[in-house]
Amino acid sequence: MSENKILFSTGNLEGLAEDIGKMSDTEGSKLKLHPDNADSGLAKLVLTLVELIRKLVEKQAMRRVDGGSLTDEEIERLGETLMKLEMKMEELKKHFNLSDRDLNINLGPLGDLM
Amino acid sequence: MGKMIYSILKAAEDPGQLPAVLSGMRGISDADFHEVSYDDITAVVCDVQRAGLVTDRSATMDYAGVIDSLFKDFTLLPVRFGSVMESEGEIRNMLERNHIEIQKNLLKVEGKVEFGLKVFCDTEKLKADRSIEPEGTIKSVNDAEAGQKNQVYMDYVKKKLAEYRLEESVLSYVNSVIKEITECLTGVEATGKFKKMASPANIIDALFLIKKEMTAELIRVVKDLQTRYPDLNFMLTGPWPPYNFVDVTIS
Repeated sequence: MSENKILFSTGNLEGLAEDIGKMSDTEGSKLKLHPDNADSGLAKLVLTLVELIRKLVEKQAMRRVDGGSLTDEEIERLGETLMKLEMKMEELKKHFNLSDRDLNINLGPLGDLM
Repeated sequence: MGKMIYSILKAAEDPGQLPAVLSGMRGISDADFHEVSYDDITAVVCDVQRAGLVTDRSATMDYAGVIDSLFKDFTLLPVRFGSVMESEGEIRNMLERNHIEIQKNLLKVEGKVEFGLKVFCDTEKLKADRSIEPEGTIKSVNDAEAGQKNQVYMDYVKKKLAEYRLEESVLSYVNSVIKEITECLTGVEATGKFKKMASPANIIDALFLIKKEMTAELIRVVKDLQTRYPDLNFMLTGPWPPYNFVDVTIS
């Protein structure tokens, strides 16, 4: 396809191409399971799901805090729980040598998981 | 040996048109194209060795190039790269089994083309421009006991609340841009699909299906949108075959 398909663009094309390239670069977010890395592959998959649920819980909690329907005591307890969850996740990521990017699986046309 | 399907198209009024177009084109591994027809629909296929099928960038670009060339002359449904069936008979049976669905989709995309619109922005600047308090102010039902709070946990909630509000504010801005794009495209009679925050920089990734003759109007609308949103970068690509507006589950 040699035909130019860009009909209109105002941005720096090189910069935009870099952004698009990053979006389609799924190499880092692929789950690579082999007999010799089954442990870390599985840990990556499990931690990805745990992180997704943790972020959803956090978002829902902030929605409730923002709504102003919680007491100070409830907010404080929420803060303690969320903080401990985040710290535990950091510990687990460190233990399995995983970064935030590793836990963001690319779902193809649906985009990144998180 | 299998048959790779490139696209399914509506038979042209002139039966000689498709063979003439195909004669100047080569398929994967330099194979000749041929047609497999059922009733008024035709699959464009070429022979392929399953074992030797390479799925790299160059092969997929060549594949897309063939579909793009056919699209200039025919109403077609692009088929996903790597769709291989055993024989012409099997392809003909597939066309027969899915005839109604295929016809319905061909009718939907007839005379139409797909365009992609990506909207990029400096998300950090966008966040900085949002009027969000740096530390989230927490409303609670019993603020009087403020003195008894454990400050570490409360500060953590404040930080998270500020992040949440900023995210919501950016999302609300993105929604307002999408609303404006949709309103501006009313005259173009576009069928649109929007994906928000495809990446931190790509805040909107949209696809439109419009009538071919509306192309110039679409470009004008996008240019107009760019003038209205100088801080955003609009990128319009196309015309593409209707990759994202075909909905056939092959049985």
